[in-house]
Amino acid sequence: MTTTLDQTPAAPTASVLAPVGWFRRHRAVLLIGTALVAATAAALVGRGAPEYSGALDPSNSHAGGARAVARVLGHQGIEVDVVRSAAALGRARIDRDTTVVVTSTWALGTRTADRVASTDAGEVVLVDPEIGVPTLFGQDEGARARVASPVSARCSDPRFDGLTLRVDQATSYSTGSSGCFPVGGRATVQPVGNGFVLLGAGDILANDQILRSDNAAVALRLLGQHDRLVWYVPDPDDNTVGDGLGIGPLLPRWLHPGLWLAGVAVLALVLWRGRRLGPLVREPLPVVVTAIEATRSRGRLYRKANDRAHAAESLRRAARSRIAHQLRLGRRADADPETLARDVADAGGLDLDRVHRLLVGQGPGPQTDKELTHLANDLAELIREVRRS
Amino acid sequence: MALTGRVPLLLLLGIVPVVLSPSLATMWLWVLVVIVTTGLDWWLAPRPGALELVRSAGVKVRLGEPAATTLSASYPTGRRFRGILRDAWQPTAGARDNRHRIAMVAGDRARFSTPLEPVRRGDLMAVGVTVRSVGPLGLAARQRTREVTGSIRALPPFGSRKHLPSRLARLRELDGRSAVRVRGQGTEFDSLREYVRGDDVRSIDWRASARNRSVVVRTWQPERDRRVVLVLDTSRTSAGRVADVPRLDSAMDAALLLAALASRAGDRVDFLAGDRRVRSRLRLTGTDVVGPLQDAMSGLTPIIAEADWSVLAGALAGLGRQRALVVLLTPLEPSAIEEGLLPVLPTLVRHHRVVLASVKDPALEEMTSARETVDEVYGAAAAEQVLAQRRRTAGVLRALGVDIVDADAERLPPALADHYLSLKARGLL
Repeated sequence: MTTTLDQTPAAPTASVLAPVGWFRRHRAVLLIGTALVAATAAALVGRGAPEYSGALDPSNSHAGGARAVARVLGHQGIEVDVVRSAAALGRARIDRDTTVVVTSTWALGTRTADRVASTDAGEVVLVDPEIGVPTLFGQDEGARARVASPVSARCSDPRFDGLTLRVDQATSYSTGSSGCFPVGGRATVQPVGNGFVLLGAGDILANDQILRSDNAAVALRLLGQHDRLVWYVPDPDDNTVGDGLGIGPLLPRWLHPGLWLAGVAVLALVLWRGRRLGPLVREPLPVVVTAIEATRSRGRLYRKANDRAHAAESLRRAARSRIAHQLRLGRRADADPETLARDVADAGGLDLDRVHRLLVGQGPGPQTDKELTHLANDLAELIREVRRS
Repeated sequence: MALTGRVPLLLLLGIVPVVLSPSLATMWLWVLVVIVTTGLDWWLAPRPGALELVRSAGVKVRLGEPAATTLSASYPTGRRFRGILRDAWQPTAGARDNRHRIAMVAGDRARFSTPLEPVRRGDLMAVGVTVRSVGPLGLAARQRTREVTGSIRALPPFGSRKHLPSRLARLRELDGRSAVRVRGQGTEFDSLREYVRGDDVRSIDWRASARNRSVVVRTWQPERDRRVVLVLDTSRTSAGRVADVPRLDSAMDAALLLAALASRAGDRVDFLAGDRRVRSRLRLTGTDVVGPLQDAMSGLTPIIAEADWSVLAGALAGLGRQRALVVLLTPLEPSAIEEGLLPVLPTLVRHHRVVLASVKDPALEEMTSARETVDEVYGAAAAEQVLAQRRRTAGVLRALGVDIVDADAERLPPALADHYLSLKARGLL
C-alpha cells in the first residue's frame, strides 16, 4: 500500500519532459542493444582470415601448434606439402620417397584412414592416434599417462641413437622389440609395419616443447627421413555418417564458449536470488513447557523402575476414593479399605472376594506388566459397575 | 550491492556474438562488458540513505486483532529513486505484506503502511528497514538496512469478555433484588418498596407495612466499596501450557473478567504480579480498569524460577491494610504450593478472604482413563498419584480457609466471576 503525497512536477513541465522521458524509459534497452551490436561487430571483424588453431597444426604459430617444426623442415630442404582434406591428399604427389605425417588423428574416419593406408608413402607417421586408430594396426588402444622424466630411445633404430625426449604426457603402446622411447615398458614411438609409425609423444612437435631435451632432433629425424613431407590434417567434414568417428567434431563450435557463458549466467542467477532483502530476524523465544509433561515423565519413570507395586497401589487408592465418593461414604472409607470393600460389595450386590481382591489386594501385588494392565482395567470396570448399580 | 534478474538475462544474450564468433575470447569479452555495465549501474543508483524515514507512533492492540504501522518517507534531493523497501518486524508481530515498491523523484513524500497481526502477547519490535535502490538500467542495486525504531504492544486478548454481560446482569439482579437471600453481615439496607408476589416473606418490614396501606418489603443492596486484590503468579508453574496456551494467559483472562466485574460492582481493584520479585503493581481507580490492567499484563512472561510468596505477601500488605478479597492466580501444583505458598497463607487468611484460582489440565483426567497399553497404565498410575496429591493439597488449603476455584482454562474466568458474585451475594467480602 503506497500513497504518494505530493507529486511535484505539474502538467506543463511534464509535456516538455516527454521526449526526455522516452529516452529515459528505454535507456536500458538502447544501451543493451548498442552493446550487443558493438560486440557482434567486434566479433565479426576479429574473425578475419581463417586461423588454423588446431593442436599440432603446421600453420598454427601458437604454443600448441607445430609451425616451428614445419618451417625448420622446409629450411632443411625438405619439401613440405600441407593438405587439409581427403581430396587434397588424393591429389598430392606421394611416392616411396615421401613421408606422410597425420596430425589431428581424432578426425580420421574409416574412409580417410583407408585412404592414408593406401598411399605409396615411404613412411606414414600417425601423431597421437586416438581411439580406434591403433587397433587398425593390431595395437592396443594405448594409454595416456603422465611422463615424469626424460625418456631415452633404448631401441635398435639407428635414427634415435643416444637421443632423449621430454614431454609431460604421452600415449604408450605395448611394444614388441621394435618400439622406441619406452615409458614404463611401453613404447611411445611404435613402428607397426608397412612403414607405419605411431607417435604417442606428439607433443615433441609442439612449438613450445620442441626445444626441450632432444625433442627437435627426434622430430626432424622422424619426419625428415625422405625428401618430401606431406602433412595431412584430416578434416572432420570429409567423413560421412557411416564412418566411425567421435561425437566431438559433430558438435557446433560455439557450444564450448556457449556452455561457459551459461555457467557464468547461472552464477549471476545465484548471486541475484541469493541476496536477501535485509538480514534474518530473530525472535526471542518464549518458554514452552507442556503442563502435563511432568506427569507423563513420572509415568515413564515408574515403568523404567518397574515399580508395579507403587503403580498398583496408586490405582487402587484412586479407585477407592472414587467409589467412596460415588457411594457418598465420606472420608472414613479412605482410611479403612477393608470396610470400604465390604460396603461396596453390599451396595452393588457384587462378589466380595473380587471387590476385596481389586480394591485391597492380597499378596505381593502384580508381578508382570500384563497383570498390572489387567488390574487397571478391572478397577475401571468395577468403578463403572458401581456407578450403574 | 545486489543484482537483478536482468544480469543473467543479459549474460545469456551473449550467445548471439558467441554463435557468430565461436571462441572463448568472445565469451569473456561479453562477460566483461556485462560486468562493467552492471558496475556502472550500481554506481549510478541513488544511495538508500538519501531516503528519510520516520515511523508512526507505537500502537496498542488486543492480541489477534489487526493493526498497522506506517513509515513516512521523504526524498529531498537526488536522482529518480526506484527500488524496494522491507519493513522487518519480529515474526510474531505478523507483518505479512511488509515489502513496498518505491518510485520517487526529488521532493516526493510517500507513506508505506504495513499491516500487523500479532500472535504473541507483549511488546513486539520492529527490527530494521532495508532499502534497496535500483540503478537507472535496472541491473544492479544498492542496499542498506537501518534501524527505524518501532514497536507494537499486543495486549492480552480478554477472550472472556463474552461472559461479562451475563455476569453484569446477575450483578444487577443482586442489586435490585428485594432481599439478598441470606441477610448476612455487610448487606446494606437500601430502601423500601411495595411487596410483589415472589418476594421473600422474611424481608417484609412489618413496621413500615403497619404505617402503610400495602405490604412493604425492605430492599438491600450488595455491599460496595470493598477491595479486590488480584495476585498473578508468573513463576515457573505458570509457564506450563494447557492445550498450547500458557496457564499465565488463562489466568490473565480470568483476572481481567473479575476486575471488570468488580469495578462495575463498585469495588476497588488492585493488581499485583510477580515471581521472585514484584513485576507489576497497580492500583486501579475509576470504572475503566480493563485498559490499564491489559497494559500492565502485556509485558509479563513466565520465568524459570520458583515464586517467592513472602515477597508477594509483603507487596500485598503494602497495598493497604483494609480487608480484601485476595485472589491468588496460581496453578494448584502440590510441591510449589506446599513449599512456597503455605508458610505465608495463615497470616494472609487472618487478614483477608483468600481465593485460589487455578487452571486445571483436562489432559490429567484423560490420562487416568486411558489404560490400553502398558505405558498408558503406568501413565494412569502417575496421573492418579498427581491427582491425589492435588486433592490433598486442596484439602489442606480449604482447612486453612482458602476457597479454591479449579477449572479448565475455558471455564476458569466465569467460574471465578461466579464465585465472586456468590461471595458478594452472601456478603462475605
